[in-house]
Amino acid sequence: MNFPKPLAPLRENRPQLFIPLAIECVSAGFPSPADDYINSGIDLNEELIHNPTSTFFLRVSGHSMSNAGIQDGDLLVVDRSLNPHPGHIVIAVLDGAFTLKRLALKNETLYLEADHPNYPPIELWQYEDVQIWGVAVHSIHHLNSIATSK
Amino acid sequence: MTQAMALIDGNNFYAACEQNLNPSLSGRPVVVLSNNDGCIVARSPEARGLGISMGQPYFKVRHELKRLGVVVCSSNYALYGDMSHRLMSLLEKHCEQLEVYSIDEAFAQIHRPHDWDLRPWARQLRALIHQNIGLPIAIGIGSSKVQAKLANHIAKTISIHAGVFDLDITKNQDFWLKTIEIENVWGIGRQMARWCRMKGINTAQQLRDMPSNELHAKFGVRGIRLQNELRGKICLPLKMIPPPKQQTCVSRSFSRPVTSLKELHQVVSSHVIRASEKLRKQKQRAGAITVFTRTSPFSKPFYKQSATTQLNIPSNDTSVLLKASLGLTKQIFQPYHLLIKAGVLMQKLQSTDHLQSSLLDPYNSEDRQRRERLMKTIDKLNEHYGNGTMSWAAGALKQGWEMRHERMSSAMTTQTTRIPIVHS
Repeated sequence: MNFPKPLAPLRENRPQLFIPLAIECVSAGFPSPADDYINSGIDLNEELIHNPTSTFFLRVSGHSMSNAGIQDGDLLVVDRSLNPHPGHIVIAVLDGAFTLKRLALKNETLYLEADHPNYPPIELWQYEDVQIWGVAVHSIHHLNSIATSK
Repeated sequence: MTQAMALIDGNNFYAACEQNLNPSLSGRPVVVLSNNDGCIVARSPEARGLGISMGQPYFKVRHELKRLGVVVCSSNYALYGDMSHRLMSLLEKHCEQLEVYSIDEAFAQIHRPHDWDLRPWARQLRALIHQNIGLPIAIGIGSSKVQAKLANHIAKTISIHAGVFDLDITKNQDFWLKTIEIENVWGIGRQMARWCRMKGINTAQQLRDMPSNELHAKFGVRGIRLQNELRGKICLPLKMIPPPKQQTCVSRSFSRPVTSLKELHQVVSSHVIRASEKLRKQKQRAGAITVFTRTSPFSKPFYKQSATTQLNIPSNDTSVLLKASLGLTKQIFQPYHLLIKAGVLMQKLQSTDHLQSSLLDPYNSEDRQRRERLMKTIDKLNEHYGNGTMSWAAGALKQGWEMRHERMSSAMTTQTTRIPIVHS
């Protein structure tokens, strides 16, 4: 089996990979007037992870959230520190497995809804033991997933 | 303003980590085994409820566990380490001062509010930790470390306290101290506990109230300190900065006995590689190295041996340390013994900040810098792509050598290829 490269563990002092906003070509002679303004880069960790201690990653399997833009095989960034509210896409623990659904409130009843007509909504009260494990904040989707699939 | 001391720890930490990231385990009895699948070191509340006790050797209870439907996990330190790091950084954010005491325990110093009651703070903290990382914690509060530890014990064992207990605010402190058996007093040690029992001192309350001069005569300052802590006087302050390590040890039991020098070399080398890595991480160099090995304590004849050598120039360079360990391994090896454990001990550690240069140094400063860069590169590669991505051939382990961990869950929070699945 061929595994993709593992990432570094998630840490408070996470490694930072800065993609410079602009790179000046080396030109003989005078230094570029733009050099003094390149003082920051884009750190994707900072962009995607606001609370490193409470952020976990999960891999999506299935198609029930495809209309919400979450595809099979996507990498989900889940922040457990957020309080779930209706409208959030959440990770619920149902029957001993992680389930990805949208939390919805209708007629004072909480539902877990799929974004796909084939999956009926789940009424939370019907379950004795249901836990909202975390709130999904980003889904990282590989655009050329066929070419680079696992 | 009065200071209070709290002991905060994870309930069944290892088992809780396993259950938290694998929902199919929640509500089911789970036990975690020690290194090499030796004995039970953690139990989920469900497993505890089945009467499974701590410390039992796995091979003895294997069938019983199977019959009871208990889920058995090998220890997964990548996972526990990551969860511990998360727990401690959250605690640091919410406590005034924190001393991380072990992988799942920390002492915290906090000011008491005007109404003296820290329980709302503790309950909030508990809820916050549970929401953020999914782990249950218990919080014991007192005036000293020993009191905090006792309070934590009470918080955990008596369910109505819901994981929070404050020994200083309770009206019947004597009642609670009476429920604590003398052996459960933190830091008492076997010897002092036995002496107390002989004198008819059986509970924490009796120890607190006994005449101090007797304790002093028998155990000196240590006894007095313990008693004062029980009375609520701080004798053991928070250690904010852990003292730099004086030695670093890497040792393992093997999954099957080692009998040849060649195999022992391999095992020791892999330990040296790991230990040098640790040294570099701690920014230290070793001035001496010890290699040791032994047979099983039950085997006859029992054999154990160790050998030490001083290094002329302290080092954390894997190649240098490997070379030094080679001769030592030869010294300690004797044929016809079934060796089941070997290890290396890096001693006389000193910080890399102050290096004594020496005339004996085989490397000039340019060479030295090159070596340091090489080590740094190798460490980075291994950190990034997983341990053992790049290593020394001397430590290349043949399959079947490494520790037994047949039932290990994966590095669910630290490697992208191992993250749990969510169904949608």
